[in-house]
Amino acid sequence: MADGNGALSLHTENDALRAALAAEHVAVWGYGVVGGALGPDKRATAAASENAHRDVRDKVTALLVDRKVDPVREQAAYTLPFPVLSAVDAAALGVVLEDGAAAAWVRVLDQATERSTRQLAVGMLSATEIRAVGWRGAAGKKPVTSALPGLPKK
Amino acid sequence: MSSTPSPALSGFPRRTLLAASAAGLALLVSGCTSGTAQGPDAVTSKQETAFDAQVATQKALVAAYSAAGAADPELKAAVADLATQAGEQLTALIAAAPGATTSSAASTSAAAVGPDARGWLREQVAAAATSHATACLGQTGARAALLGSIAAGLRGQDETLA
Repeated sequence: MADGNGALSLHTENDALRAALAAEHVAVWGYGVVGGALGPDKRATAAASENAHRDVRDKVTALLVDRKVDPVREQAAYTLPFPVLSAVDAAALGVVLEDGAAAAWVRVLDQATERSTRQLAVGMLSATEIRAVGWRGAAGKKPVTSALPGLPKK
Repeated sequence: MSSTPSPALSGFPRRTLLAASAAGLALLVSGCTSGTAQGPDAVTSKQETAFDAQVATQKALVAAYSAAGAADPELKAAVADLATQAGEQLTALIAAAPGATTSSAASTSAAAVGPDARGWLREQVAAAATSHATACLGQTGARAALLGSIAAGLRGQDETLA
């Protein structure tokens, strides 16, 4: 879970931040799909989620560039985990996107050495879970909350 | 929808997590903390003490769910899932802090809840979330990850109780 000698370092932290950035790229792309499958009344929620992830993406990119670490680039497209043909499918995709981001931010917490990075990560993790609550409800999933967001299920 | 081959959206984040570091995190969740960071990142006694305090915080939250449920039976049914998850979080914390298991369970009387049980409970959830998030900053490795995850889970509960 760290460098070769088992220690956390700025290197392990940056690697985790790069993985989180990759997850944010996925979320920004994925919410385009989510919004396209929702009716006009719900589209604003997807747009707000997309904007939130775009802001995080830009923040993490700036942080990595400032550290002279090559930031992960977005892919042209990603393979969807299932067809998104309805509003419920779209909400389920929203859950996947937020759960994916949560896992990445938990990993940042696990690998970080800087307190400021943990502060960033715990804030992002909470924001993803709050959005996930809404999407789980819209997708008809129960419970809508998660005891341990981002951690592997036992 | 996408060109081929494209990176798989499904599971990539979790796979990334599992592949690289979940050994430590999974061990933490299952109660074996020997997989946490070693050497320079070993847990200090100050961190241990601070982590143990979060067990007490979570015990108090579990007691708050019981008290709110006793004061308002309708609320008890409505928040049953949330109460169960608060218990799961406590189990994970105790598993990661074996030294904290001997302290007695917290208790809160229904009388302390007041007329607005839901509002009172929401305050307790929000306070516990803030406490775990703040404590997370002083920890490293899997313990920071666990506290951050619990804090996020409680933010989700807070949202649900709103």
